[in-house]
Amino acid sequence: MVNSDFVRQATGFHSESVRGKNISHIIHADPVLLAGVVVLCLFGLFVLFSASDADLNVIQRQGLVMLVGLVVMLVVAQFDVHTIRGWAPSMYAVGLGLLLLVLFIGVETNGAKSWIDLPGLPSFQPSEVLKILVPLLVAWYLASRPLPPRFKHIFWSAVMILLPTGLIIIQNDTGTAIMVAMSGIFVMLLAGIRWRLVFTLAFGLLLASPVWYLFLAQEHQKNRILTFFDPYRDPTGAGYNIIQSQIAIGSGGLSGKGFGNGAQSHLDFIPESNTDFILAVLAEEFGLLGIVFLICLYLFVLARGFFIAYLARDMFSRLLAGSITLTFFSYVFVNMAMVSGLLPVIGLPLPFISRGGTSILTLFIGFGLLMSIQTHRKIKSK
Amino acid sequence: MFGKWQLRDHEAEQRIFNRRLLIAGLIIFLLFCALILKLVNLQVTQFEYFSARSDGNRLHSQYVPPARGLIFDRNGELLADNQPIFNLTVVHEQVEDLDETLEFLRGLIRLTDDDVEQFRARLERSRVPFASVPLRYVLSEDEKSRIAVNGHHLEGVTIEPQFVRHYPLGSLAAHSLGYVSEINRTELDALSENDKENYGGTNHIGKTGIERTYEDLLHGEVGYEIVEKNNRGQVMRYLDRTDPVAGKNITLHLDAQLQRAAQEALGQFRGAVVAIEPATGGILAMVSKPGFDPNLFVTGISSLDYDILVTDTVNTPLFDRSTNPYPPGSTVKPFLGLAGLHHEFVDYDFAIEDPGYFRLPGVSYRWGDYTLRTAIGGGHGHTDLQKAIYQSCDVFFYDLGNRMGIDTIQSFMGQFGFGENFALDVSYARTGVLPSREWKQQSRGEPWYPGDTINSSIGQGYMWATPLQLAAAVSIVANKGEVVEPRMLKEIDGEPYLPSNKNSVPDVMLNDPDYWRYIEESMAMVVHRPFSDQFRDYGTAFEAIAMQDRNMAYKMAGKSGSAQVVGISQEILSSTDIVVSDLNKDHGLFISFAPAQNSEIPPQIAVAVFVENGEHGSSVAGPIAKAVTDKYLNEILKIDFKETETMPRKSNLKQSRLPTGTDG
Repeated sequence: MVNSDFVRQATGFHSESVRGKNISHIIHADPVLLAGVVVLCLFGLFVLFSASDADLNVIQRQGLVMLVGLVVMLVVAQFDVHTIRGWAPSMYAVGLGLLLLVLFIGVETNGAKSWIDLPGLPSFQPSEVLKILVPLLVAWYLASRPLPPRFKHIFWSAVMILLPTGLIIIQNDTGTAIMVAMSGIFVMLLAGIRWRLVFTLAFGLLLASPVWYLFLAQEHQKNRILTFFDPYRDPTGAGYNIIQSQIAIGSGGLSGKGFGNGAQSHLDFIPESNTDFILAVLAEEFGLLGIVFLICLYLFVLARGFFIAYLARDMFSRLLAGSITLTFFSYVFVNMAMVSGLLPVIGLPLPFISRGGTSILTLFIGFGLLMSIQTHRKIKSK
Repeated sequence: MFGKWQLRDHEAEQRIFNRRLLIAGLIIFLLFCALILKLVNLQVTQFEYFSARSDGNRLHSQYVPPARGLIFDRNGELLADNQPIFNLTVVHEQVEDLDETLEFLRGLIRLTDDDVEQFRARLERSRVPFASVPLRYVLSEDEKSRIAVNGHHLEGVTIEPQFVRHYPLGSLAAHSLGYVSEINRTELDALSENDKENYGGTNHIGKTGIERTYEDLLHGEVGYEIVEKNNRGQVMRYLDRTDPVAGKNITLHLDAQLQRAAQEALGQFRGAVVAIEPATGGILAMVSKPGFDPNLFVTGISSLDYDILVTDTVNTPLFDRSTNPYPPGSTVKPFLGLAGLHHEFVDYDFAIEDPGYFRLPGVSYRWGDYTLRTAIGGGHGHTDLQKAIYQSCDVFFYDLGNRMGIDTIQSFMGQFGFGENFALDVSYARTGVLPSREWKQQSRGEPWYPGDTINSSIGQGYMWATPLQLAAAVSIVANKGEVVEPRMLKEIDGEPYLPSNKNSVPDVMLNDPDYWRYIEESMAMVVHRPFSDQFRDYGTAFEAIAMQDRNMAYKMAGKSGSAQVVGISQEILSSTDIVVSDLNKDHGLFISFAPAQNSEIPPQIAVAVFVENGEHGSSVAGPIAKAVTDKYLNEILKIDFKETETMPRKSNLKQSRLPTGTDG
């Protein structure tokens, strides 16, 4: 290790300071990504402080989860991503097993039976982990095959994606199912699946959606879609969340009402103000500028993710890094679009800002993989 | 070969990947742009709209009801004030299951079907969301604590303090003072837009009596406060407040002590007493018996209590006898006497020989003398106007009335307020009937017969007058013709109240003002002319009044009357639990003013007494008038009649005046 460090110092390949490179390489952390994530975490705690009405218990818990997350991220980063690559099939199998387990001993929260609550262990959501395991497996599968993938490979990749997705849909957690599917689809898209196929599939989905709506969709799903098009059809029921959140966002104006002054949130007009709708609190108190600031933070992290994917030396790392980054983006965008009324309401948290346990840990694991890809690159390339 | 292919493939693959990465980056950029555009739309373009919506969410304007003005009697005794009570109120939006909550409350406190029914009616009326609607008024301490203990089961149910009307004297002046009660839909609809706003926080409105007449003065102006409420309708902060303007405190001419004395004087009788201060027209007392407790109405009378009040067809406690008309009987005689003098149908020397009946020329029917019905029969003999008054000779007035004719009677009596309501602020008082040819034609479709005039001459037949009218009329006599309209309101917030339409009624002018003295003297004789050896030559009320009080310090001018009961309802006649003969008894009446024939002190009080089925005006109603007058002159005004006149003159007067009566 010491020796290889010395070699890299000598070559001076990077413009990073010698000292920073040293430390970051010893702990296998990517300092840029780390800085971005830490700033996001701190900003998240800051917003949550107001959203939770200065509930110190909530802040402490969230801070603790974030610390654990950072540690998990660094632990993941210690593993060479190629070692992890070898574990991909078995980890995927374990993930599927857990999903099956949930079907039998799962605990229901908010209508989704997706939690495992074993005595002595903190309760967790296996479906969350699949957001990492699916791209891992699909990347593992496609990277060792010629690209762009042939139809046969696409088919098997689709099976790998749809298996867990189907199980999660059975758990009645559509939001997570979509995100899991997306994380796998991103790998396929990045692997160079032909546009013709992509558009054909997209077009097919578009055509199929009325059929789904008419014959397969459940009542609450139909409601969400109707509410999306016209929140005022049921302003005190289904449309309440989105109406109140739009009022909060709109009344925030350009620069917001000020920290802790959000009337909508502090008078409990915004439901789920600590979790899915926390963006409304941010928008009300810090206005458009606050949101743009947050988007910039996200863009910074996303850019770094893309950069890592771009620099990666092998296809597996590229596909994985790209997929993780795009999944992260999907989270950010879907939540923001949902809260501001661009998309129907899907229960998804805003990464690093919303209060939550497993979802944050998954994000950290993803970023741990990114760091592993970045920091183990040189050694491999030698 | 393989390796080379592999290498080329790697580069191609990486190119594809990098292109895809670039496309992804572009899409991300575009999506964020779309998001920011949406946010600009919400936060910049529609900022004003959403700001208003946000304020609309949290800011609520609520009414602050004004304190209702207090009502005092002329001595500052409280007649109506506001007292805190504790109500159980419900915010419908906060109650999970209303029926379940009501059922739970039933087990906790007294909650009748009636309460629940009224509550549901209020709920229907309630205009604003998250309004607290009263369910039960006046919780006891015990009930309050039981609610508090079970508070966690009672989401949306709260105990709220409220100031409500309280009548400390209870039934004492229930009819004249009136009461407030919960405002109803009809009353609400009748209000103007401004008033509707003004009543936004008010639950009660004056329903009868003074409370209704002076509703505008007493109510005050509503205040407002802007409060910040959270999602559950709880008030978080008070942001702005416009204080309500309390209603005006008003002082009445009413004297609670006199009112009490009048009520006591009526004893067990049903009836009414009205006392007026002749100089001002101020109503000193206005009693109707039996009364009722107006406090019952304030917080919603239970249907049981209400049934008790309305089904009592004999006592009719809600019926105001003081402002409803009865045949005035012989109490109209002094006024007819004045008419006769003024229009020169009689003079001081004119007299008839009374055979005990009257007959119209060419008609065989004999109008008998009611006064003598139960007496030995025969007539009063030689009778002049004075004797006709103090002996209440019907035949004299049959003759006089017949000669004057109904037109003269009607126009003269109208000046005293018969057939009209002279009262300034007792607008609900009935006008009674002062019959005329037109009136009969219109209401009965019949022409006026001479016999109708005969009946009217002794206050029977079509003639009807309220005790208030009689008191007002007799106070005009006490004032020697000066008309002062009866009134209740004396002061507003301590400032004397002088109505602008004062003296809208012309004074009564007589050809010779001495007629006033003559009639006053005649009326004094009714009370003070003692028995003598002459046949039927005493005042009708002497035995009941002056003879009972040999040391009467002042003189009282009065006139008794009794009126036949007209129209007892079939329901009462068929009822078994009352003695019907009692209800057939004549009504007893008495009108008076005092002190009379006093050169130093003008008359201080005019009284009209009506006793339902009292049988005799002189012996039953007379002493009541005396008791009320005594109370007022001796105990309230504390007039020392011995002091006011010099010692030698006093003895002179006392002796010289009585003989005057005897002579007349």
